[in-house]
Amino acid sequence: MMNLKRSFALLASVFILNSAVAQQQRMVDFVGGARSIMTNNQLMVHDSLADTSTVKRNTGGYALIDLGVNIRPNSTTEILGTFRIRNNYGGFWGAGVTVDVRELWLKGIIGNIVRYQVGDLNLKQTPFTFYNHHADRFDSLPSVFALQNDIVGYEKFYSNNTWRQQGANVDFGFTFSKWIEEINFSAYTTRLNASNFSTIPDRLFSGATVNIVQSKHFEINYNVASVFDVKGTASASNNFHNNVNTVNTSYGSSIGALDWKISGEAGQSDYAYSEAPDESDLSDYFIYAKGEINWKAKHLSINGGYLNVGPDFRSIGAQSKDVNYSALTNYYERYTNSQSLRPYSLYDLLSNDAIYNTGISTSTAAIDASINNVMPYGIATFNRVGGFAGLNYSNPKGYYLTATHFMLNEIRGQGTTALKDLNSTEINACVEVNKLLNFKKTIKVQGGVTYMTTARSGNITLEDVDLKTTKYQVGAEVEVSKGLDLLFGIVSLDTKGNEFIAERNQYTVADYFNKVDYKLNESITAYGVRYRFDSKIYICGLFQHTKYTDDMHTNVNYAVDQFSLIYNMTF
Amino acid sequence: MKKYFLLAVFALFLTSCRKENDTYEGVSIQELYSDFLLLDNFKVDKDSVDFANGEKATFTAKFNKPVNWTITITGQTSKAKKIITGQSKTIDVSNGQWNGSTTEFPMFSKEHCVAQLTIDNVVDTFTVSTNIKSVKVNPGFIVADFENGFNPSWTKFVQSGANMDFNIKTDSLCPQGAKYLKMAGTVNWDYLIGLIDFPATAYGTPKTFPLNSNPDNVYFNCLIYGVPNTNESLVLFQFKEDEDGNGTYNNATTDDEYDYQITVNWSGWKLITIKYSDLVSLSNGQPATPHGNSVHNPDKLAKISMLHLANPANGFASSKLDYIIFTDAPLEP
Repeated sequence: MMNLKRSFALLASVFILNSAVAQQQRMVDFVGGARSIMTNNQLMVHDSLADTSTVKRNTGGYALIDLGVNIRPNSTTEILGTFRIRNNYGGFWGAGVTVDVRELWLKGIIGNIVRYQVGDLNLKQTPFTFYNHHADRFDSLPSVFALQNDIVGYEKFYSNNTWRQQGANVDFGFTFSKWIEEINFSAYTTRLNASNFSTIPDRLFSGATVNIVQSKHFEINYNVASVFDVKGTASASNNFHNNVNTVNTSYGSSIGALDWKISGEAGQSDYAYSEAPDESDLSDYFIYAKGEINWKAKHLSINGGYLNVGPDFRSIGAQSKDVNYSALTNYYERYTNSQSLRPYSLYDLLSNDAIYNTGISTSTAAIDASINNVMPYGIATFNRVGGFAGLNYSNPKGYYLTATHFMLNEIRGQGTTALKDLNSTEINACVEVNKLLNFKKTIKVQGGVTYMTTARSGNITLEDVDLKTTKYQVGAEVEVSKGLDLLFGIVSLDTKGNEFIAERNQYTVADYFNKVDYKLNESITAYGVRYRFDSKIYICGLFQHTKYTDDMHTNVNYAVDQFSLIYNMTF
Repeated sequence: MKKYFLLAVFALFLTSCRKENDTYEGVSIQELYSDFLLLDNFKVDKDSVDFANGEKATFTAKFNKPVNWTITITGQTSKAKKIITGQSKTIDVSNGQWNGSTTEFPMFSKEHCVAQLTIDNVVDTFTVSTNIKSVKVNPGFIVADFENGFNPSWTKFVQSGANMDFNIKTDSLCPQGAKYLKMAGTVNWDYLIGLIDFPATAYGTPKTFPLNSNPDNVYFNCLIYGVPNTNESLVLFQFKEDEDGNGTYNNATTDDEYDYQITVNWSGWKLITIKYSDLVSLSNGQPATPHGNSVHNPDKLAKISMLHLANPANGFASSKLDYIIFTDAPLEP
């Protein structure tokens, strides 16, 4: 939303064009999608005693349809309501059927100047104000895993780092003939939670951006994002607020064949409860600066920069996590004879929407150090300072390579004055073999690796930290006949070492450090056959073998074989 | 312009080089993982506590580091248990206070109690004792605690099945007071095993129970016992409102009925609590629309029916019931 910087002239022309076309278009359209998933699962528990308590085999699945009615009562108004009908396989006489309203919004333009939308909104602002970082996501997933991962994204309304909210937003802009090209304004207000009239007050999230475009070379933005409780909406008076103010800017030009750009964002936050202890009143600042050089002729760009996010910088819109590591998996939830909770695995991370959030949280979301200990909240992770560098090579002949490296430190020690060094290197590559060999049918090979380290040399040996995580994914997609693809892929996670995980209270202040030792290895091997009826409809048979091995024996090892049949369409 | 911009970026870069080498966040790891020491002994501030008059017992202790601790208070006669847990360096009035409430039934009686302090990863345990001078009083409207037997204004119906037992019992299983209701039997042709109607008129009130009109401020509570290794019981409470004030509940036309169906799938006593506004209307266990104004009106509640049900195909079913009480907040027994 906030990135859509359009001038008044542009908006007006778009709507004039729309209204002209609307004369010939239908006033009501049906949009949506349908999906069916059938699964057959087999759990294998590698316990010292045979697990006789857990039902190891299950079959299940569901069919659903999302039916959206898109109404355009006039040339400046558009309404969308999407209903979902879902039936679990095995539901008896409709007992497993649910009917929900999945989406509802209304948008339009007032006086050919102000655009507005009310109802459901997909919002983002800047990476430090309001942004869904997907920090633990595997980038460049092979197609065989992307199928289910895309379904999770669809279910949770994840698109382009947005968060799904309910409220209203407006934006409008002006163009000028001298000095400044454009000034654009945008603002939103959403409701994070409703009052229960006693202990929980109404909590709103409001934000605004003023965008000044001086020229195609230079622009600057002022951003504010504020979460606050509405006084008087509950009898309890411990009201919360989190205000974030930032300025971001970019300046770019060309030198010969090289395009260059310098961009950055800096700002400050304030986080407090009105009746909480003093130490929970947190305020701090951050600075992020980045330089990029793009050599278009060689399809190469490189970048480097500096990041400094204060230990008390809190921005709940940017530091909420999409993954909820405290959630129940709803899939082989308990196992072993003692029926302990099954630890989530890569399968859950890639395919299980039960562990994903749609909303943001005012407390610090739990992190999993075995998956991402360097920047668990993306670049908005607090208590980090250091540099980064990256390159991007994208050859239209069919091969792509991206690499990024972060070299960071803590600013303030955690339970000790000794600071941690945190490093992350990520490389992803893709080769479209068919383009190289001039084949028409797709032959694509993808791969990527991420290596993260955390190290602390403590004042005493007890405080030492040494944690290493390696994640990799490889995969291939081969179109053997028109629309018929063979898919293959492996993802793996390997974490070894130790770390002290901060337990944070409701005010996000660390009050305990749990010593955790890791010797964890997880992997998924997947094979699939997909038939694409067209670009919007496919059916896919998928076999996945998931393996979870915890050699510290904190959890009992297990494996899951899953065969699934997925039919997916959008219309 | 370009010069100024680069200068500003450079200045930001210089001012942002910060590290806090002399401070740290949270508790010292060195302290956290050091050997445990009890700095101040585990104590209780009262030898005898008058809970009925609002007194509270406060436990105190001090350690050399934050620990996960548990205080288990056990009634030496009733075997009731109260469990208080925390994570801190000290136990004091903020986290170690006991108001006479119970975690594991039965409820405490006038008795001698022993409190035991256990600490995670510490072998030693610490004990203190105190006496209950008077038990905690729970403010609210008691519908039935069966202490005085069957109120003659209640209506009871029991099927003529096998092994039927729908009677008040006095034994060591009793969670509150000295008596509770046992409900058991085999009825192989119907879900219903037995029922009791509790009309408001049984309590000396003219037509309705004396409850707050705001359904968000009225909580229904009771204690239900699941009998181990016995078929699942269903306990269904029906809340029948007299919307038109004519003195009778009429389901077919003008009055609301709200329901709360509890599947008894646990063993032992369990506290059941629900806010009146969260009650729904059911028909044969499925959501239905009430026949009245569809507004929760606790002040118009004229009758409560309690039905003990079980799947006739399963055979014998049994559960127990005690301490049915309305409160203005979730009951802390």
